[in-house]
Amino acid sequence: MTLDILMSILVAGITTGALYALATVGLSLVWGSMGMLNMAHAAMLTMGGYAAFTVSSALGLPVIAGFAGAIVIGMIGGSLLYMLIVRNLLKNDKSTFESNVMIATVGIGIALENAILMIYGGQPLKQPLSIPGTLMLGPLALPYQNIVIILTVVVLMAFIALLLNRTRMGRAIRATAQNRDAAQLMGVAVNRVYFQVLVLSGGLAGICGVMVSSITQLSPPLGNDPMLKAFIMCVVAGLGNLPGAVAAAFGLALLEAFIQYAAGARWGFPSLLFVVIAVLIWRPSGLFGRAQIRRL
Amino acid sequence: MSNQPVSRPNSPTGSAKTDLAITVVLIAIAIALPFFVDSRYVMGQIVLALFYATIASQWNLLFGFSGIFSLAQMAIFAFGGYATAMICFYFGWNVWAAVVPGAVGAMIFSLAVGLACLRLTGVYVALLTLAIAQTMYQLIVTDTECFTMVGSICRQFTGGAVGFARFGELGTRALLKGQWLVGNYAIVATLFAITMLFTYAIIKSPIGLAFRALKDNPGYAVARGVNRFQAQLLVFGISAFFTGLAGGFYAAHFQAIGPGILSMSQLMFIIAVVVVGGVGTFWGPLVGTVILVAADELMREAGEFRTFGLGIIIALSIILMPKGLVGRLGDLVRWSRKRGQAAHREKLAESPAPAGE
Repeated sequence: MTLDILMSILVAGITTGALYALATVGLSLVWGSMGMLNMAHAAMLTMGGYAAFTVSSALGLPVIAGFAGAIVIGMIGGSLLYMLIVRNLLKNDKSTFESNVMIATVGIGIALENAILMIYGGQPLKQPLSIPGTLMLGPLALPYQNIVIILTVVVLMAFIALLLNRTRMGRAIRATAQNRDAAQLMGVAVNRVYFQVLVLSGGLAGICGVMVSSITQLSPPLGNDPMLKAFIMCVVAGLGNLPGAVAAAFGLALLEAFIQYAAGARWGFPSLLFVVIAVLIWRPSGLFGRAQIRRL
Repeated sequence: MSNQPVSRPNSPTGSAKTDLAITVVLIAIAIALPFFVDSRYVMGQIVLALFYATIASQWNLLFGFSGIFSLAQMAIFAFGGYATAMICFYFGWNVWAAVVPGAVGAMIFSLAVGLACLRLTGVYVALLTLAIAQTMYQLIVTDTECFTMVGSICRQFTGGAVGFARFGELGTRALLKGQWLVGNYAIVATLFAITMLFTYAIIKSPIGLAFRALKDNPGYAVARGVNRFQAQLLVFGISAFFTGLAGGFYAAHFQAIGPGILSMSQLMFIIAVVVVGGVGTFWGPLVGTVILVAADELMREAGEFRTFGLGIIIALSIILMPKGLVGRLGDLVRWSRKRGQAAHREKLAESPAPAGE
């Protein structure tokens, strides 16, 4: 029976790992290319989840439309974030951008979460985009929902990798991430890159919101827990490092699943935090981080 | 490039003479206040606002003057409050005896957080401190193990989701009877005044200059022999002491402390206070508190729009006035002064200009 338990821990760990990876990549992409920590990411996740709920249960459209609705809302959120906040803050002093954008997105995040609370109410709702049933593979029980989540995340990761490595847009994003000024001098429209990155990250957040709510429930603070974990995964991997972020997401999610089984659910996050602090004392810019931080 | 001066001639606190004048006016207002306010509700809100101003001034010392974006400010405040409440609850101490050990406890907690986080810089510090604060909240809320039995009720060590209540009071009720709130107001106002005094002394001292240098240009400051880690740990400890002290008095004033103060919206309120008032300005937190508490009272009429409005205020004020109200005011003063100088200089420049041809 221990194998059974081990297997279910593995399945749970990999599923949450996939979700964290999606949330982490959204954050890390924005940080890596523009040096912006998007504290409103959680609210964008939640918005995606609720958008899917509205489209498919209130409007009665098919599941795929709900999914598309989540992506579209996330993208709109990202573009509004650029047009209303980021574009204005970039006009100010460059050195204050990092902290100012963090404070501004904190405000936006809390306003959005509250707006969702006012529109939909605080009681948890069921996400209609979930697939019941379990696939039995010998002793292994795989809920269909988990399979869908893992497959979607793998496809999305491949899509992002292709986008960043093979397209013109991806090249511009990478160039901006490496050296903003040099990219601008070489004719990259840096502001357009910022806009694209935020839209992309918003779309990812929307998808992630649907996924997270499909295995839990829809509630206004839905995005906070994945975002908090995504934060510390970004920190462990080194902010802005995408492959590292994915690896850290899966590793830490598995660790969390094991600790939650062994020591009870409430110790999951504190132990993660402890691991993160230990890693950071050893390597202050994360496991795979570029040495962005000058050790002074 | 632009014609903005590289170094600003005025220090962020303005001149000492102005500060002194403001202080005298504020003390006069503070003394006069109880004679004009007879509503118990308003008085209660003023006391609460003073707590906010104290916490905000210490967060401003951290972020505005030293450039450490810590999101553990409410956690440290809560630690001070909890430590005080727990000392009173478990050992039966008087509140007055417990606030200082509570503050020292908060300082030690903060130094431990600092040891873990301050090796990093910028957003990494923000993320880790946020994670630590959230962990503290979750551990308190999910605490269900019985530590002691009070009557037939199970008490958790940390008070659990309920927190602590009725562990003691400041003694103003016995002394002043119906006017106890004014007594508490006097205590909290004194606490705020002492905190501001110490903060002022720190900012003006050589170590305060070191904090500012590390914020403005870390590379240069370190090259000139400032130890970043030690200096930032020091400011972490100093601000935590006063924050923890405020926490202790907060618990004593309300005779209750619960995990609610660790919530995100409380932290947001403190950040909003500093941002609206002016990051890195000495009087900013006080100005911000007055404005935001007033706005909060107005939005109370709007009920559920309160948190929404707060979020929008934070975002708008950072976009429209990144230096806050006090910073804007300073800009205005400098701008008019510069305009006066520029007009003067233009007059001088008019005659030699053709000679240069």
